[in-house]
Amino acid sequence: MLGLDPMVPAQRTELRRRIGYLPQNPGLYPQFTAYDLLDYVAVLKEMTDGRQRRAEVRRVLDEVELADRARTKVRKLSGGMRQRLGLAQALLGEPQLLILDEPTVGLDPEQRMLFRALISRLGERRTVLLSTHQTEDVGALCERVVVMNSGRVIFDGSPRELVAVADGRVWLSTTAPIGSQAYWRNADGLYRTLGDQPEGGEPGQPSLEDGYLLLLDTSGRLGAAR
Amino acid sequence: MTGWHIDAGLLADYDRGALDPSRVMAVDAHLLACASCRGRVEVDTVWLTGNWAAVFDAVHAPKQRALRRLLGRLGLPEHRIQLLAAMPALRWSWLGAIAAVLALAVAAAYLGQTGARVGDMLFLVFAPILPVLAVATAYGPPADPMHEIADTTPAAGPSLVLWRATAVVAVAVAMGMAAAVLLPGPGWYAVAWLLPALLLSIGSLALSTIVSLSAAAGLLGGAWLIIVGTAAMVHRESSLPVVFGGTAQLGYLLAAAVAVVVLAVRRSRLDLGETR
Repeated sequence: MLGLDPMVPAQRTELRRRIGYLPQNPGLYPQFTAYDLLDYVAVLKEMTDGRQRRAEVRRVLDEVELADRARTKVRKLSGGMRQRLGLAQALLGEPQLLILDEPTVGLDPEQRMLFRALISRLGERRTVLLSTHQTEDVGALCERVVVMNSGRVIFDGSPRELVAVADGRVWLSTTAPIGSQAYWRNADGLYRTLGDQPEGGEPGQPSLEDGYLLLLDTSGRLGAAR
Repeated sequence: MTGWHIDAGLLADYDRGALDPSRVMAVDAHLLACASCRGRVEVDTVWLTGNWAAVFDAVHAPKQRALRRLLGRLGLPEHRIQLLAAMPALRWSWLGAIAAVLALAVAAAYLGQTGARVGDMLFLVFAPILPVLAVATAYGPPADPMHEIADTTPAAGPSLVLWRATAVVAVAVAMGMAAAVLLPGPGWYAVAWLLPALLLSIGSLALSTIVSLSAAAGLLGGAWLIIVGTAAMVHRESSLPVVFGGTAQLGYLLAAAVAVVVLAVRRSRLDLGETR
């Protein structure tokens, strides 16, 4: 990883210096202010010089647009602000690799849009590894997609190639397909089916989510439509 | 706005600091309202940026609460204080819980109906457990909600664990000593629990190189309670010298020394990134 072996203690420490990590549940201390929390993480990232550390805290607060909330306690921040604060701590120390685990879960559409804009900007000058089940985020942000199932890589390619997995496997019909377990009624009143062509089904436009679902179809249910 | 603006000469005098106070105030008042004139004022952006940063930091810096001030007086550098002050085990709620347990134990020593010796025994049995419980909250799940983030930083590893463990043990021991001097029994009661506490704390850290820290603390603390508690209940009068007498103290010291050696040899395992 980044040319270093995480199993070797000295290299593991060096690796930790080069990555920034936002877990799905960051567990940010609720009684800390945003500034306090970033100062604490900056110390964990070996920024022992007070002046340098404070400058870095100010920089990341500006980067995630939380400078006006520096004195606010974490427990009083909204969900979107907490996620931005979590991202800010990951940005401390200018990491080469940013690892984000489900960063937009629980955010409303506006917060998600702001977060995507932020991630997109950050990705311009570093590698961002996004672990997510939100296919919309993948489609909006990623140049490369890796799909894993039970610890194995089952797809590694571009989002367009993942969509192509669903070519010829997406159908629209006016009646519910008999026998299929993989269909739903969309907003236009049509039944969208994945897998084999149902009776009366017309080809539909595949999406990233369709490709993802078909890749993960370990139970074979998506081939059951008649 | 009247359309009046500061002339160049007046502005130059203002920049040089050559105006009397009343004229400075007048110019200041105008500049607050007039963006055009403000734009003409010479600004040292480096100075301004630096001062703004200093103001920002002063406003947002962590409050110097009692704990931080105390740690500062002990000579700890600011970044080390920030690490220790974040620990769950050094919060008032946790310290209050320790104080309550100690107070109950001392009260039991005074109020025990079967004699002060039983009450003293209660204190000596429970007091060594408290530092162990504190060590269990030094790092890692479930004690530290931010452990996932901390474990991916360069500070994660033996140094952080040992700093935190030392801090919480020191606090727990200090509180225990303060309570111990209030015990009604002989003076040696006040220190009889220290070596068992040291053994259990270091032993927990050493054992945590094999199992999780909370499991290690639970195993050793539980074993102490069962063994010593059972001895105290079965042989009330004779168990005190056996469990806390000179021979036992020597045994605790030797066992603690062994635990230190194990910890030193296996200290890299304190890093949760190390495979076990």
